[in-house]
Amino acid sequence: MNTKTVAQSKWGRSRFGGGSAALIITSLLVGLVLSAGGGLLFARLNFPENFVMAALVMMAGLLPVLSVACWALLLDRDTLRGATKNPEISVESQWYDKAAVGVFQDLLLVCGLGGAVFSFLQFQASIGLVLAGVVMVAMVDFAVRYWLIKRAEG
Amino acid sequence: MENTLPARRLERGFSQQALADELGVSRQTIISLEKGRYDPSLPLAFKLAEVFGCRIEDLFQPDAK
Repeated sequence: MNTKTVAQSKWGRSRFGGGSAALIITSLLVGLVLSAGGGLLFARLNFPENFVMAALVMMAGLLPVLSVACWALLLDRDTLRGATKNPEISVESQWYDKAAVGVFQDLLLVCGLGGAVFSFLQFQASIGLVLAGVVMVAMVDFAVRYWLIKRAEG
Repeated sequence: MENTLPARRLERGFSQQALADELGVSRQTIISLEKGRYDPSLPLAFKLAEVFGCRIEDLFQPDAK
């Protein structure tokens, strides 16, 4: 029988060494620096009259996303509790694939029909807003599909 | 697909978690396999056959029509 030699924890450890606390603090600090940069740039380009408020709002939005992204990049996944050695042959991988295929088909349908309908209506919207909407639809669709597949096949 | 996994696992004295650890997969994978809700990929089928010291067709049989 195989025995696990790598200690696992809820938040894992960095691939560059150190404990969970170091990984979390590093992720938060890098996220803070990057979100501050993004917030300042956004405010300077779009809201010079409300610079501070715009920068703070953008920073607040970016901080959790960038911190988690940094954590995911730095993480040694073998040290994460519940991480398996061969995730690609686990059933969850199949559920993921099925949900992703469903989302792709849904997006084709939504974007195709939406494009057709709105071209007749001559409706105008910001590209950033539309793309954010598409991403949101994809994420919610994936979560629902994955949950349904897990319930049916788990 | 029908399979003889639960009987073979118990014969060997493996818990579902122990077998999952041996294969490097999640425990949910073993549960789904044993319930016949997950047809394994070839790499996983070969790993299972290796663990139980038998052929793949000894572990998995097509559904009887």
